[in-house]
Amino acid sequence: MNELLTFLGEEDRYKKYELFFGPNHPGMNGNFSYIITVEGHTIKRVDPDPGQLHRGFEKLVEHRLWMQNISLIPRICVPEPDINELVYSRCIEKLMGVEIPDRAKYIRTIVLEMARISAFLLGFSAIGGSTGLYTASHWTIGDRDYLLDLFEWLTGARVYHMYIIPGGVRRDLPEGWIEKLEETVDYIEKRLSEYDRLIYNNPVIVQRLKGLAPITQEDAVKYGITGPNLRATGIKYDTRKAVPYAAYEYLDFDIPVQSDGDGLARAIQRREEFEISISLIRQAIKKMPKKGKVRLDMPNPLKFRVPKGEVYVKVESARGEHGYYIVSDGDTKPFRMAVRGGSYTAGLVYARKALVGMRIEDVALWMATMDVCAPDFDR
Amino acid sequence: MTQKEISEKIKENFPNAEIKIIDKKQFSVLVDKEQIIPVLAFLQNIDFKELAILTAVDWIDENQFEIVYNVFSYSHYQQILVKARIDRNNPKIQSVINLWDIAKTYERDVHEFFGIEFIGNDELKPFFLHNWLDLPPMRKDFDSLAYSNEVYGKFKEERDK
Repeated sequence: MNELLTFLGEEDRYKKYELFFGPNHPGMNGNFSYIITVEGHTIKRVDPDPGQLHRGFEKLVEHRLWMQNISLIPRICVPEPDINELVYSRCIEKLMGVEIPDRAKYIRTIVLEMARISAFLLGFSAIGGSTGLYTASHWTIGDRDYLLDLFEWLTGARVYHMYIIPGGVRRDLPEGWIEKLEETVDYIEKRLSEYDRLIYNNPVIVQRLKGLAPITQEDAVKYGITGPNLRATGIKYDTRKAVPYAAYEYLDFDIPVQSDGDGLARAIQRREEFEISISLIRQAIKKMPKKGKVRLDMPNPLKFRVPKGEVYVKVESARGEHGYYIVSDGDTKPFRMAVRGGSYTAGLVYARKALVGMRIEDVALWMATMDVCAPDFDR
Repeated sequence: MTQKEISEKIKENFPNAEIKIIDKKQFSVLVDKEQIIPVLAFLQNIDFKELAILTAVDWIDENQFEIVYNVFSYSHYQQILVKARIDRNNPKIQSVINLWDIAKTYERDVHEFFGIEFIGNDELKPFFLHNWLDLPPMRKDFDSLAYSNEVYGKFKEERDK
């Protein structure tokens, strides 16, 4: 008996154990899991275990025509699919050396900002969900539906739109759509003050988020953390400003930054960028040319050949830098496409450092504030 | 620094480097595989601190793999694709984990999908694909249709019986 006790004591089996966080955990977003070793409820070691959502997009696109891929790639990223279409289309436009019509640029900007707002709303709901504040989840998911309605009217689909195509956008805005969009944007802006009262001024949420896994500026750059998480540490960088695409160069906006880099700063950063997105939509509506073409005449999709070359195009997504590296050998199909997901480094690499020392209940909240999205690594 | 200054500086330090301008904010640099670490260390010193992506391209007709290191600078706003070609029959290259910690994961990813060995990286165990016994799947000579028929064909036959 004594012998057994010593053995168990040595191995620390009463205290130390291994735990699967996901893929069936309610706080996990996506089919992904962290295998965490915990002592008591403090995390000692983290092993990300991706692969359960791997669909081999990078291989699939090599077997399909350039235009066929448009229906495939939005599925890489579920919460914000439009960025994939934009990056892919821009890669092709850059390789072909064409410039799209001005009206298409503004329409793209509006669609992208709407997608960003709906992704942020999902993010707010994740913060609510992982702190037990389900009112926030219900409200944000409900408000997101108004945006999805607009998407449905514009593109015929709620989630995967396939609206942005090489050469512009698929079709012009329907009549009355802009007025409805203005109405929806006004409504969402009005809701912001209620979100403030519910989430950002809520003492319980502030307490939970304050000091949650702060990121330093050096770490953020070293670990390739981008987007709102980078700006929450104080680095003033935004792809929309630095390497402008769509109509962002014609619009006037300032990039907000925070200084702490902790969970609260990351949440507030997203909250502030939400307002920027609303203002960008309004500006784009105002400045958009009233008439004009929305797409270039492109070659026959079945015989569409993209000139030889390689290019890396990135956009500012709600989660960070989302980019495609595309190589074309002048054939009817892409030769190679590599996806750089916005949260690849945050979820797979930085998690191993950041989660150590954290308590189990904070893991879901950390994922919500970092906006870790499983499809980014399981392409 | 502007794109021109950066590319001139690279040319000055590495005369063998082949520089190709892609657009105003992006260019590619092709170097020998032995030079990849000096070039990347040099770029890191002039503030190219972000390794955006590390990936590979399978040029099967030329019997070569191309490793692409995509770096970006938060001060110069330039994207540089640093590339090196390696022999396809003996795919080995020096690892860059001493320069970027995150390269460990990127290299593990590329190792799994292309079968390229990164000398010095001790974490090249399987990552995404569980119990994979076939060719690395992103190679051009891996036939996904044949694989799926071979592995899942018998389930299909049984179902259709």
